[in-house]
Amino acid sequence: MKMRTLSVCLVAAVLLAIPFAATGAPDAIHIGATVSQTGHFSSEIGPFKRLMNAWAGIVNEQGGIMVKEYGKKLPVKFTIYDDKSDQATVKKYYERLATVDKVNLMLGPYSSPLTFAASTAAENHQIPFIAVCANSPKIYTRGFKWIVGVIDLGQRYTYRYWEMIRKEGKAKSVSFVVEDTIHPLGVFKGSKALAEKAGLKVLTSDVVPDKTRDFTPIITKLKKENPDIIYVSSNIPFAINFMKQAKEMSLNPNEYHCIHHSGVFRDALGSAAEDVIGQSYWVEGMKLGDTQLINDVLKKADVSEPMYPWSPAYVAAFQILRKAIEDAGTLDNKKVMERLKQLEMETVLGEEVFSDTGYGSINTYPSQIQDGVYKVIYPPDVATGKHRYPRRPFK
Amino acid sequence: MSADLIQLLVGGVLLGGIYGLAAFGLSITFGVLNVLNLAHGEFLMLGSLLSYGLFVGLGINPFISAVLVIPVFMLLGVFFYLLLLKPIMDKPPHQLLVASILVTMGASLFIEDVTSFFWERPVTGISYSLPPMEFSGVVISSTRLLILLFIFALACGMQLYLKKTFVGKSIRAIVQGREGAKMVGIPISRVSALAFSIGMALAASAGAFYVTLFTVTPVMGIPLTIKYLCVVVLGGLGSIVGSVFGGLILGIAETLTAYYWGAEWSPTIAFILLIIILIIKPEGLFGAKK
Repeated sequence: MKMRTLSVCLVAAVLLAIPFAATGAPDAIHIGATVSQTGHFSSEIGPFKRLMNAWAGIVNEQGGIMVKEYGKKLPVKFTIYDDKSDQATVKKYYERLATVDKVNLMLGPYSSPLTFAASTAAENHQIPFIAVCANSPKIYTRGFKWIVGVIDLGQRYTYRYWEMIRKEGKAKSVSFVVEDTIHPLGVFKGSKALAEKAGLKVLTSDVVPDKTRDFTPIITKLKKENPDIIYVSSNIPFAINFMKQAKEMSLNPNEYHCIHHSGVFRDALGSAAEDVIGQSYWVEGMKLGDTQLINDVLKKADVSEPMYPWSPAYVAAFQILRKAIEDAGTLDNKKVMERLKQLEMETVLGEEVFSDTGYGSINTYPSQIQDGVYKVIYPPDVATGKHRYPRRPFK
Repeated sequence: MSADLIQLLVGGVLLGGIYGLAAFGLSITFGVLNVLNLAHGEFLMLGSLLSYGLFVGLGINPFISAVLVIPVFMLLGVFFYLLLLKPIMDKPPHQLLVASILVTMGASLFIEDVTSFFWERPVTGISYSLPPMEFSGVVISSTRLLILLFIFALACGMQLYLKKTFVGKSIRAIVQGREGAKMVGIPISRVSALAFSIGMALAASAGAFYVTLFTVTPVMGIPLTIKYLCVVVLGGLGSIVGSVFGGLILGIAETLTAYYWGAEWSPTIAFILLIIILIIKPEGLFGAKK
């Protein structure tokens, strides 16, 4: 009799528990982010809300992301605010994402300064935070435990380029023109050391205010120095303005390297962009990862990769986010973060491993604009074209 | 004189020409209306974007766009004046100045945010350039030289317009004394609307050149306004010749400073010059004493 009563109770308990378990599952995996839809970064990141929603759409069409704890797939839902490219605003919205929207995971905003400000909310509220386009060492030297970054540190941003220059042994000297902002300065510091290590003589390094429009003084100096390589470490507008004037003043080194040389750069400069080298995460035709996902997401979002060359880094971040949740099998913050830290995976941009402090291993490849097309020129196993050196002088 | 120095002076003059054209409109607006138009840079930005659209969409040369944008922005200028400025024009001068700063600042932020939101394309620029000219080691940008010539032609045209036509004389009369102009029967409101629209059209016209030389973003307006304000004060309020010379002085000073002292000092020189001029000649180089 006792056994029978016990069995009935157990069955009743199980029956009662099933609906509770079902209702215990959240309606979706909530991911929080901000996009600079207005302000000075809007021109670089404005349409990325569509990118996030496009990926969520693709995942949700497949039923969502499997979360073992709930025994089913959960749809992905983004909560996205416009951070106005402003540190105070970004901080406010990430606090809101943590306390009001109560998101399960956060994707970082665009740029190092905004990520620096945003990540404190994730740290204070212990929410996993994936930085996407942020590679300043400052972000990763604060002892934060709730942050990982998709890309490698800024100092190593062009290490593959200098490796190529060293192996080729053709260029002997370099002059740096540097925009005085956090990311270009970080890239410059690393590049200068890498150039010296590659055996090049560094002739000059001009650190110039970011709003500089007229480069007559610098170009006059560079003409006298006559370096083999002119290396412009800057954001896109600065690089366009510099290159326009370099053409106007017939400055013809053997090579120009502008760290950011996206489609906007190419379109604004026309023939002056020919043979310019820059850095790309991915170009069509590269032998890297599941490039179909990049194409699908970009197509659905109506975002062009040459115009927004950092968009594949976001696709890599989406893959990382998905894998961490699937591997953790739960939405528990601590367990997801633990999985993130231990993650070793092949992304659309190659292998991703996070360092102890959180920065990632994905890095860029040197690419050259050849007849209007971006060609990755090093290393040979992923290259889509050959290095054209010296460049053809301006006509 | 070394080739380097000549190169720098030429570069400075060509840069200063752009400053001068953009500062024209601001000078007229301030001189005639006593309105400090902080949205001036936004009109330059809008003129740049329109010129960009005409170049990319229809293949129209930016030099032609610089003329085409003038009637469009004159019309916009009249609307802007009637809608936002006319209601505050009857305030006493000091209140008008403060009110105009608030109104045009608000308009500036509004234009900037709306444009940012809808102008989705990243940084904009056009690939238009002409082959440079070289004289014994000094390279001169043909594009900039042509722009400078256009600016001088426009400045001369404006000067003639102000000296020879009734409307031009009315504008000058208002600059000299608003109350006096009213007493002799000048239709202040209509002339003010026209002066404001001329200022706006000149900014838009400068924008057509700006996009030829530099990149354009929807958020570039306010920093440009501040720089052009320095040019206007340097040259003298309401003086077209002053704007051109103010621009040239600033252009040359910036170029020489960047070469001899370092590029980081270049933006500072505008403010140093401004302080010096305000101490020595508070009305500006070509400004009339009031």
